[in-house]
Amino acid sequence: MRLLAEIGLVVLAAIGVAGDVALLPGTSLTRRRRARALVPARPDQLVALERLTTSARTSAVHVHAYLRPVLVDITSRRLAAHGHNLDRMPEPAGRELLGDRLWDIVRPGRPFPEDRRAPGVTSQELGAMLEVLERL
Amino acid sequence: MRGLIALAGAGLVGALASGRPELALIAMPFLVFAGVGLVLAREPRLAVEIELDRTRLLEGSDAMATVRVRNDGGGPVQIEVALLRSRNLTLDPPGAVGILLRAGGHSELAFDVRPQRWGSHAVGPAVVRARDLLGVTTWEGRLGGRADVRAFPREQRLRELVAPLRTQPFLGTHVARVRGEGIEFADIRPFRAGDRVRHINWRATARRGAPQVNDRHPEHSSDVVLLLDTFEEARDRAGGTLDDAVRAAAALARACLARRDRVALVDFGGTLHWLEPAFGATQLYRIIDALLSSDIAFSYAWRNVDSIPLRVLPSGALVLAISPLLDERSLAMVTDLRRRGFDLTVIEVSPLDHASPGESGDDAVAFRLWRLQREAMRARLQSLGIGVAVWARDGDLGPALEGVNRFRRSARPAMRA
Repeated sequence: MRLLAEIGLVVLAAIGVAGDVALLPGTSLTRRRRARALVPARPDQLVALERLTTSARTSAVHVHAYLRPVLVDITSRRLAAHGHNLDRMPEPAGRELLGDRLWDIVRPGRPFPEDRRAPGVTSQELGAMLEVLERL
Repeated sequence: MRGLIALAGAGLVGALASGRPELALIAMPFLVFAGVGLVLAREPRLAVEIELDRTRLLEGSDAMATVRVRNDGGGPVQIEVALLRSRNLTLDPPGAVGILLRAGGHSELAFDVRPQRWGSHAVGPAVVRARDLLGVTTWEGRLGGRADVRAFPREQRLRELVAPLRTQPFLGTHVARVRGEGIEFADIRPFRAGDRVRHINWRATARRGAPQVNDRHPEHSSDVVLLLDTFEEARDRAGGTLDDAVRAAAALARACLARRDRVALVDFGGTLHWLEPAFGATQLYRIIDALLSSDIAFSYAWRNVDSIPLRVLPSGALVLAISPLLDERSLAMVTDLRRRGFDLTVIEVSPLDHASPGESGDDAVAFRLWRLQREAMRARLQSLGIGVAVWARDGDLGPALEGVNRFRRSARPAMRA
């Protein structure tokens, strides 16, 4: 019992000394604060497209509803620079200029996919389509 | 002090734990030393003044901050001095400087101050730590005032500016489309009652057999509205699109005012600020002061042209919209301005330089898609008759404006229609 009391006394004394030392002023003059640099900001446009490319993989519905409008806008503007009109482009010319996969997505009057669970577009496929657009 | 108390405390606790009084005896000198130090310690009386040799400078250039420390107390003190500073300001030396001050003595410390970015910055107050000569007692506090320094944006010299479609009836440097008193020859026409004799073209009169006079174009000024988009920015560690946009706005304001145009500024973003159009050097300083307080203010509020007071957007003004074209509201704004018949040019501060593709393959494809999408957006604006100058980071604004002038020459018939 007495031994326990002595141990308790020693522990209390150690805690007291440690507390006193901790309360004394520190050695660094100014507290080290994390540099408040301006936080890097990624543009919302880019973040939205990153989500779009990920979600386009999941289903044909995502491709039709979200990816297709973006691709149609880009394709029509790039074709217009060469005097073509996407809305009036005949299918053979469209397939020749844009390739089968891209034409299938951006062709005018493309119906809503019947099979909602059909696979979407992988990033490799999308990359190939962008290559076609970049070459235009 | 902390070390002394820790050693003494360790000795006493050790003595208590082991039941050996020798340890307490070893700890005693430390306790005595600390006690003597505390008894002899006198609170120092220090005074600090901070002074800058320049309060206005260009970003990236240096100013000198002089810190004067005076010891009004009765004994010598060891002092460490460090300066507090606002972000984007670097100090040399960066940390604390130590000195020993005798009673009644004073000392001067010099710090190099360099703003890394335009804006309003502050140096001070000084964080001062004083110790007595034994080093037992320490006092710490903030002394001295705050010295403000304003860093103006670096500007590019612009040789060519966007030529306005319409001019105002004030003396300036643009050759007006109308005819009147001026230097630039316009045409020859038959003499009319009221024409000055000095305007008669005698050679043409002799050839045609009837009095002919020279018509001339007067030199007029134009109204220029700088529209700064502060809705959103792309930012990396080296800087952001707003930094570049402010630099572009300052350079354009200086160049337009130098050619005697009236210049207005609209800070169009989460918050709306404006400066009404005016001439001269005073307006330049007003504009730069307003630009220094520009910041991205997050807001869901939808704003359009109607939010801007009419007196800030005079009819016939040339509107130069400086924007990264990242926010739908900015795009709607420039489109709306064009549809209302304003002579509009967009200076696109490219966000592509401030963003990088993510690590995954999907993100790399998304980045390419973003690049193509922005090109399509640019083409859409150009199809409305809006000239778009793309300004890349560290690039020259001059060639971009030359490209816009070429576009405007070819698009002019469409713009008139």
